[in-house]
Amino acid sequence: MPVPCKRGCGNNAVLKRPKTGDAICKECFFWAFETEIHYTITKGKLFNKGDSVAVAASGGKDSTVLAHTLKTLNERYNYGLNLMLLSIDEGITGYRDDSLETVKQNRDDYEMPLKILSYKDLYGWTMDEIVAQIGRKNNCTFCGVFRRQALDRGAAMLNVKCIATGHNADDIAETVLMNVLRGDIARLKRCTAITTGSEGTIPRVKPLKYTYEKEIVMYAHYKKLVYFSTECVFAPNAYRGHARALLKDMEKIRPSCIMDIIYSGETMSIKEEVSLPTQRLCIRCNFVSSQEVCKACVLLEGLNKGLPKLGIGKSSKVKKLLDEYNTRQNNLETAVKDLEDCNITDKKTSKTCKNISNGFKQKECNATNCCTNKTERNVEKNNEKLQTVLDKYSLENNSQVKLDEEDSDDSEIKHQDEDDTCSSSCGRLGVGF
Amino acid sequence: MKCKKCNSSSALIILRKKDLYCRECFLANVTHKFRSSIGKNKILGKADNVLICLSGKEGSTVLLDLINNALSLDNHKKLRITPIFLHLCENYETIKNVIEQCQKYNYDLYSPHISEYVQSKSHIPIVNSLPIVNNELIEEYNNMQNSMLPTVKDDFITNIKRTLYIRYAKLLNCKYIFTGETTTTLATKLLVNLAIGRGSQVQSDVGFLDSRDMEIKIIRPMKDISEEELKLYINSKNLKVNDKQTSKENEHTSLQTVISTFVSSLQENFPSTISTICKTADKIGLQDECDNERHNMCVICQSILKPDEKAISALDATSISKIVSLRKHTDSAIDVDMEKNVINSTIFPYIHNRLCYACSRNYAEIKQSKIPSYIIETQK
Ligand SMILES: [Zn+2]
Ligand SMILES: [Zn+2]
Ligand SMILES: [Zn+2]
Ligand SMILES: [Zn+2]
Repeated sequence: MPVPCKRGCGNNAVLKRPKTGDAICKECFFWAFETEIHYTITKGKLFNKGDSVAVAASGGKDSTVLAHTLKTLNERYNYGLNLMLLSIDEGITGYRDDSLETVKQNRDDYEMPLKILSYKDLYGWTMDEIVAQIGRKNNCTFCGVFRRQALDRGAAMLNVKCIATGHNADDIAETVLMNVLRGDIARLKRCTAITTGSEGTIPRVKPLKYTYEKEIVMYAHYKKLVYFSTECVFAPNAYRGHARALLKDMEKIRPSCIMDIIYSGETMSIKEEVSLPTQRLCIRCNFVSSQEVCKACVLLEGLNKGLPKLGIGKSSKVKKLLDEYNTRQNNLETAVKDLEDCNITDKKTSKTCKNISNGFKQKECNATNCCTNKTERNVEKNNEKLQTVLDKYSLENNSQVKLDEEDSDDSEIKHQDEDDTCSSSCGRLGVGF
Repeated sequence: MKCKKCNSSSALIILRKKDLYCRECFLANVTHKFRSSIGKNKILGKADNVLICLSGKEGSTVLLDLINNALSLDNHKKLRITPIFLHLCENYETIKNVIEQCQKYNYDLYSPHISEYVQSKSHIPIVNSLPIVNNELIEEYNNMQNSMLPTVKDDFITNIKRTLYIRYAKLLNCKYIFTGETTTTLATKLLVNLAIGRGSQVQSDVGFLDSRDMEIKIIRPMKDISEEELKLYINSKNLKVNDKQTSKENEHTSLQTVISTFVSSLQENFPSTISTICKTADKIGLQDECDNERHNMCVICQSILKPDEKAISALDATSISKIVSLRKHTDSAIDVDMEKNVINSTIFPYIHNRLCYACSRNYAEIKQSKIPSYIIETQK
């Protein structure tokens, strides 16, 4: 029996909103979905008229929907934004090819300029070259650290006013729980902010902060957006894994808990006497760092000086090596110059391990996890996450094949959180919460 | 096996799968945790009346024993308080057990019925006897409970108990209340708080001290003792616990049960989990500690009511979602602020005016006629 759209538009409802439980028609869903994001943007003052904005684009569903929606709203409400897509290519043979294809498709579909920056552009090294230099064992450290900074470096190159990332409500709620579980009070405080970035850095904004992941999946489906749905090759770190499992269980009982957790994070305050690690700017590259010299610079220094182990071990060791370095280079100018002039020494090819995992308990390349990425560019086929969401929320009577619910939630894993974690080649550019 | 502390070779107790203790050192350690949490936080005066709230479960059984020990010392370590014992009756079986427990130590027990909540005033009950209740009250109370989904119900009962503890503390002339929550319960409670939007209330709900009430302070002296330690304490002192605890039939129906299961399984595999969560809790503060101005309080949980300061919050975002899902608008911008008031009366009733975010969210889900009217109507 057809259900009328709750908005009283006269159409029949085709879906039940995962977020509010209201049954509405397709057109009203589009309108509601976009209007909410418009409200978030205007009320949260995310942009200023005339800004150049880099949309962090990975080819995954969140960044694809973000790019599409920003373009739509920019035109509808006259934001006057100069939008562009920014992608990072780590230079891992074979790994990025498909997702970059998708990003190029986004570029054509949404008529937005696209800048693909490689690690080579940003750091002078590709991941393949790094692996060749240091072996497979520690490459996770490199990839993770470089990824955290890649967006900032890329945005600086593009000279944009801010970076928009595709973090959705589920991601943020999950991060709140994760930071509680691992006792990371500094990130707990930061992770619900809609705009992040300290002075002197390019701010990052999250227009999808209040948008449920399930609705993003449905929006992409009904709009027939092309995105890259891949099985992530990186295992999430243990804490995020636990937080995600807990959130999934809770969401089944009370879907509003995602918003409630975000509200908790927003209204929670940290005791004044708790000292939080201060964020500052790296004296060498000027990007955010908790140390005088950021980890990326330390690692680069090691690579360029032929001391690739620098920065991998304990921080005391780093300090010692750095001190030695500093006595040699007591001039900051030279140091920076040195960094810029780096040239790559070791170019021999080796078999690349693409499983740049997070170093958390994962010692070896796991054959099923490593170097595989199930590519599916067509949204309608073989997308388990979409299928489960549709089975549950679609009111249409087309009998879709019910797929196993179990692994439906890993099409896009992001873990942009740990210093030593490879965050999210799988879907999204790394963003430090 | 050697005791970690005294090196005697009679260690029998293994904590966290690795630390060995002899019986004496173990008991001394638990007692120390109890005493130091009270001592450290120097808020109790000498000979104060303290209402000791007993549930009859493990935490309360150990609390009773620890208090009795501390009172029966005759050196400078003697705990100088006057305890008054209270148990809120939810079923008659538990109450008999608690009366029995108290009588072993020669203490009197007050045990009013939890349904007292539905009326605004109560009287001091007769000690050591089953509560005299009127069936209408119980029925009203049950109707109220039955109108709630498990998550809301669980949260509501927590607040009912808190309200009644404070009410009886006032009747019985106590300025302080002791409750028996352990590290484990508090770790769970922290996550529950986050999951239901009580992030700003963590310090009061999970910390050592809940000072939301102007006159009565709630203290959690067992806050550093873990569930594992409770069990070992009970065993080594041969205490009797009424273990007919409410069965876990609804394992996965409320956020609270899901979280509690999660915390215990995590603790099983990663023994440092709970202490990490609790350390996090200790760093979370009250929103307005330095703000002396007295704000309105939530009529259900007594939290300070204050509109959100951020430009946009999850509360706004939720209201917007509801607004755009319910009514037809033209494509031009909607007057969100005007509509928000209308929408909020249904999805966030009394928000920031009588109720906090979490209580308002709950209230919207309850059949409101079932809530005793004095609650919303009291106070201006
Ligand atoms: Zn409609
Ligand atoms: Zn740097
Ligand atoms: Zn000993
Ligand atoms: Zn409240």
